[in-house]
Amino acid sequence: MMDHASQLELQAFFDGELPENEAHDMANRLARESDAAALLTELRNTSKALKGFESDIKLPESREFFWSKIERDIARLEQAEPAVRAPEPLLARWRRLLVPASAFAALVLMVVVAARQWELPIGFGSGVRPAPVLETALADSGAFTYRDQSEGITLVWLSYPGEKGVADSGPADTLQ
Amino acid sequence: MRAAKKGDMQAFEELVARHRDKVYARAYSMMRNEDEALDLSQEAWVKGWQRLKQFQGESSFATWLTRIVINLCLDQLRRRKRQPTESIEEIDEDSGGVERQMPVVTVNPTERLERAELRQRIDRALAQLSYEHRTVLILHEFEEMEYKRIAKTMGCSIGTVMSRLFYARRKLAALLAGWKDEELT
Repeated sequence: MMDHASQLELQAFFDGELPENEAHDMANRLARESDAAALLTELRNTSKALKGFESDIKLPESREFFWSKIERDIARLEQAEPAVRAPEPLLARWRRLLVPASAFAALVLMVVVAARQWELPIGFGSGVRPAPVLETALADSGAFTYRDQSEGITLVWLSYPGEKGVADSGPADTLQ
Repeated sequence: MRAAKKGDMQAFEELVARHRDKVYARAYSMMRNEDEALDLSQEAWVKGWQRLKQFQGESSFATWLTRIVINLCLDQLRRRKRQPTESIEEIDEDSGGVERQMPVVTVNPTERLERAELRQRIDRALAQLSYEHRTVLILHEFEEMEYKRIAKTMGCSIGTVMSRLFYARRKLAALLAGWKDEELT
């Protein structure tokens, strides 16, 4: 009598799932062993009996009745999930991309403008130092302001009217 | 098919009319219950409509939709399986496999049967198999799936597929021969 492994091997042979060399060995065995040949016949008959079995099974409902439930379910699902099935309009897709991009661009612009306004160095590590600014606060009084952002110092020269002549002839007082 | 893919409901209805028997038959073979088979085949058609754009034509449309109904049936049977019942086949299989000791059916028991009688006998025999054995048999004999594909579909090993298929075939052969359970050991 065949052992279980051989029975499964025989079944695989019948189903065409055995590798070629093993199939060749099984064919030889079938020629020698009658119980193997009998089992193969049984497998073949069972398979043959099942052929065409499903083709006799028919739907027990009319076409219209069967379809009506399908149609109803499809309509119900499409009403429940319109967003899933409806394709997104092109404009909406563009808007979805453009809104964050515009916000980012606006933010960058604000930073640049603010930096210029407050004379902050833009481009850290570039080695560019802001130039010192020399300005005349009151042209008539003869006061001058020297501001160096990089050093963090501000110098102011003040000239008093009484010293006008001294100022013209010698160095001015310096305040820091 | 092209029209249905574009959303033409009338074209889809034509597809349903053309393949409804095949899809229903597969559901009935697996479930052994008319009402469940109807519900599941209708559900398969609804899913088919929803996934129609994914159908690439790698297999025929009927095969594609049949696979959908098979998966729905398997889900349903697995849910049912979670309920604590144990079939005779499972007990047999666990206790050592009676199919190994069954005498071989040497004559073809179905040879002289009328078609209607043969169908009835197969129907009764399939109903006596556990869902695991019946499903393996259906996927192999009707769906013509290879062992590997069946294993993937059912989530088990190829060895298990081979064992289940062997058991199902031997049991079916005995049932078709009209043998009683006590004669099978």
